[in-house]
Amino acid sequence: MNSLRRPNRGVELGFQALWFFFGAIFVLATSSAFFFGAIGLLKIERADLLDLLLWAVFLVWQLAPILFEGYSPGLSFREVARYPISFRTYFLLSSVYGISDPAAVTCLLWLLSMWMGILVQQPGWALAAALALLLFAVFNLLLNRIVIGLFERFQSTRRGRERMVFLMFILILLPQFLQFATGYWSNMRMLKPPAWVLQALTPLREFSPPGVATRMFALNTLPELWPPGALLLYAGFTALLFRWQLRAIYQGEIYAESYKVRRKLKVRQGWRLPLLDEVTAAIIEKELRYIRQSSRILLQLIYPPVIFMLIAFNGTGRKLFFSRSPEALLGGMAGFILLSVPNMAYNIFGVDKEGFGRWLLCPPSLRKVLLGKNLTQGGILAALFLLAEAVVIAISHPRVLPTAIVTVAFFAILVIQFGVGDLVSIYWPKRVELTQMNSKVVSNAAGIASLLVMLAVSTLGGMVALVTWYLQLPWLPLLFSLAILAASLKLYSYLLDRAARYIWEHIEEITGNLGA
Amino acid sequence: MAETILQTVALRRTFGPLVAVDNLDLRVEKQQFYGFLGPNGAGKSTTIKMLTGLLRPTSGQVHLLGRNLATDSVEIKRRIGVVPEGLALFERLTGAQLLNFVGRMYGLDRATAATRSAELLEFMDLQDSADKLVADYSHGMKKKTALAAAVIHGPEILFLDEPFEGVDAIAATTLKRLLQRFITHGGTVFLTSHVLEVVERLCTHIGIIQQGRLVASGSLEELRSGVKVPGHEHSPLTLEEIFLQVVGGAKQDAEVLSWL
Repeated sequence: MNSLRRPNRGVELGFQALWFFFGAIFVLATSSAFFFGAIGLLKIERADLLDLLLWAVFLVWQLAPILFEGYSPGLSFREVARYPISFRTYFLLSSVYGISDPAAVTCLLWLLSMWMGILVQQPGWALAAALALLLFAVFNLLLNRIVIGLFERFQSTRRGRERMVFLMFILILLPQFLQFATGYWSNMRMLKPPAWVLQALTPLREFSPPGVATRMFALNTLPELWPPGALLLYAGFTALLFRWQLRAIYQGEIYAESYKVRRKLKVRQGWRLPLLDEVTAAIIEKELRYIRQSSRILLQLIYPPVIFMLIAFNGTGRKLFFSRSPEALLGGMAGFILLSVPNMAYNIFGVDKEGFGRWLLCPPSLRKVLLGKNLTQGGILAALFLLAEAVVIAISHPRVLPTAIVTVAFFAILVIQFGVGDLVSIYWPKRVELTQMNSKVVSNAAGIASLLVMLAVSTLGGMVALVTWYLQLPWLPLLFSLAILAASLKLYSYLLDRAARYIWEHIEEITGNLGA
Repeated sequence: MAETILQTVALRRTFGPLVAVDNLDLRVEKQQFYGFLGPNGAGKSTTIKMLTGLLRPTSGQVHLLGRNLATDSVEIKRRIGVVPEGLALFERLTGAQLLNFVGRMYGLDRATAATRSAELLEFMDLQDSADKLVADYSHGMKKKTALAAAVIHGPEILFLDEPFEGVDAIAATTLKRLLQRFITHGGTVFLTSHVLEVVERLCTHIGIIQQGRLVASGSLEELRSGVKVPGHEHSPLTLEEIFLQVVGGAKQDAEVLSWL
C-alpha cells in the first residue's frame, strides 16, 4: 500500500490492480486444474499419482517465496522479537505469519481444491485425506519458515544476496538454456536419466512427505499406521527444527557481515579513451564498472544474444524464418539485441539510486551524463551486434545489400531506443535493488513504453517491406533506413535536451523515486 | 570588509500549501564556519538543497562566490563541495574508484585524481577498505567517503548536511580535523547539525531557523549578548541554552509525561 503514496501512484495503482486481476485468474485456473486433476486421477484409478500434485504444492510453497521475495509480506521477526512477548507467542506468531505469503495462500487453495476433488470422486477417503492434507500443509508451512530463515541468514551480507540472485537467475534460465541447446524437447531423450537412477528414486518418492500423504488418503481401505506416523514425524521434526532456529533469533542472534582486510592502498589512474574527453571517459568507466561489478546486469546483457545463437545454430531454430538465410539470421540477431535495450536504457538511473544526486552536484551537464551512459550501453550492444555480424559474414557470406540494410536499420532503431529511453527513464524512474529477485529493472510504465516503441518500429518496417515488394525496389529499405538513421540522430539530440531539462524541472519527484 | 561568499535574498520554497523556507536572507563571509541550526522540520535541509542546486527555490535568489546560482550553476558547482543528506554515493564502486571518478568529474586530470584519492583515503583512515565496494561500508565510513568526495577538487566553500549524524567519536574527530584544516587554508564551511556541542566548538557563526524563517544569526558572542536568560546574567550561555531560548521548544517537566 505504501508504494501508492508516491508520485505517479495512479499509473502504479492501475498496474497493481492488473497484477492482482491476473494473479486471481492464475490461482483460479490452477486450483481448477488441481480439482479436476484429482478427479481425473481417481477416475482412471491412478491414486498413486496424486503425489505428483503434492510435489507441485511442495515445490511452489518452498521455492516461490524466495524467487518472488519482494511480493511476500516483509515483516522481519528479528524486529518482532524485541517486543515483550513470550517465546511461545513468538513461535506461534512466526509460524502462522507464513500463511500470509501469497505462495502459501495459493498452495492452500490448491490443497483445498484437491481435497474437494477427492470428496467428489472418492467420498470415503475424504476424512483421511483432510487429515493428511492438513498435516502436509503444517509441514510445508513450518519448513517454509525454516527455509526463509536460512535464506535471511544468507541474505545478511550483500555478497550473499547477490550470489543468491545470480543463482536464482541461473536456475530460472537453465531449463530454457537446455531446451535451446538441445533443440526440441523431443531431443531431450538424450538427457533422460538411466533406469537405475529412477529405481533409486522410487523409495524416495514413496517415503517423501508427498508420498506418505498420498498413501494416507486410502487409510480406510488400506489401514496402515506408518503413513500417518511418518507424516506426523515429518511435521513434528520440522516444528522442532523451526523452534531451534527461532530460539536463537529470539535470544538475539544477529548475522554480521565479515570483512577481509586489505592493507595495501593502491589507487590506479582512471581510463583514457580515444576520441573522448576526460569527463565522458570517466562516466563510461563508471558505467562499465557498474555493469562488471553486478553479475545480474551482466547476465541480462549477454543472455539474449547467447540464447539467439543457440536457437539459430541448433534444432529449434532451423524451422524458424531467421535460420533460413544468413541475412534473416542477421536480422533476427539485430532484433534480439534490440529487445534487450529497454532493460538497460529505459531506467538509466535505476541502479545509481542515491548516486543520482552526485550527477546533480557535479559540474558536467546532465546532457553529457546521459550521453555518456548511452554511449556505454549503446557501445556494448553495438559491439555485440558487430561481432555477430562479423561471424555471420565469415561463415555464411550474406548478400551485401540486405546486410547493409540490417546494419543501418539496427543503428537507427538503437539510437531511437536510447533517445526514448532517456525520456522514459526520467518520466518513470525506478530504484533498482540488485539484491532482490523481484526488483524489476524498469517501471511498469516504461515496459509499456518500450512495447509501444517496438510496435511503432515494426509497423514502419512492415510498411517499408510492403512498399518495397509492391514497387520491386530492393534498395528502398536501405534508403529508408539511412533517412531514419539521420532523423533518429536529430530526434536523439532533441530528446537528450528535453530529458536534461526535464530533470531540472522535476528534481524532487525523480530523487524521491530513486531514493536519492 | 570581509568577502561575502554566500548570500541569499528573500529565498522561499513551498511544497503545496507548506512553506518550508520563508524569505530567508543569509550572509556568510569567507573563512567563516557557519552552523545552521533548527529543530526537526525547520527547513535546514531544504535550505541547503537550494543553496547547492539540488532544489529549485520557489522565489528569491542565491548568490555564491559572487555569482548567481540560477544563471551560473556550472561555474559555482566547480568551486563548491557538498555532503548532501543522502550522501549521493555510487555504492557499487569501491572507495578508491569513487573518489577517482568524482575527481575527474570536477575536471582533475587522471594523475591528480588518483594521487588525491590515495591521500584522502589515507587521511580518512579508509586505506584498508579502498578496494571494497562502498555498499559494504559502515555509515561512518560512508560519511568520511562523502566528505572526501566533497573536497577532492579543492572547493572554496563546503556545504555539509548533518555531517556528524550517526558517526562514531573516532570518525567525528577525523571529520573535524579535516574541516578545521579546510578553514585554516582559506575555506568556508556551511553546515547543519543537531549536535549543538559540536557546532559550539567548531562554528564561528550561527544561524537559527524555525518554521522556515531565520530567527537568529550572528557570531556566538553576538547571540549570547542578544539572548537574555534569567539566572544567567553573569555566566555565559551555552549554545543549547541560546537555541532553546530562541526556538522556545523546551517543555517543563511538569507539563509532560506525568506518569513517567
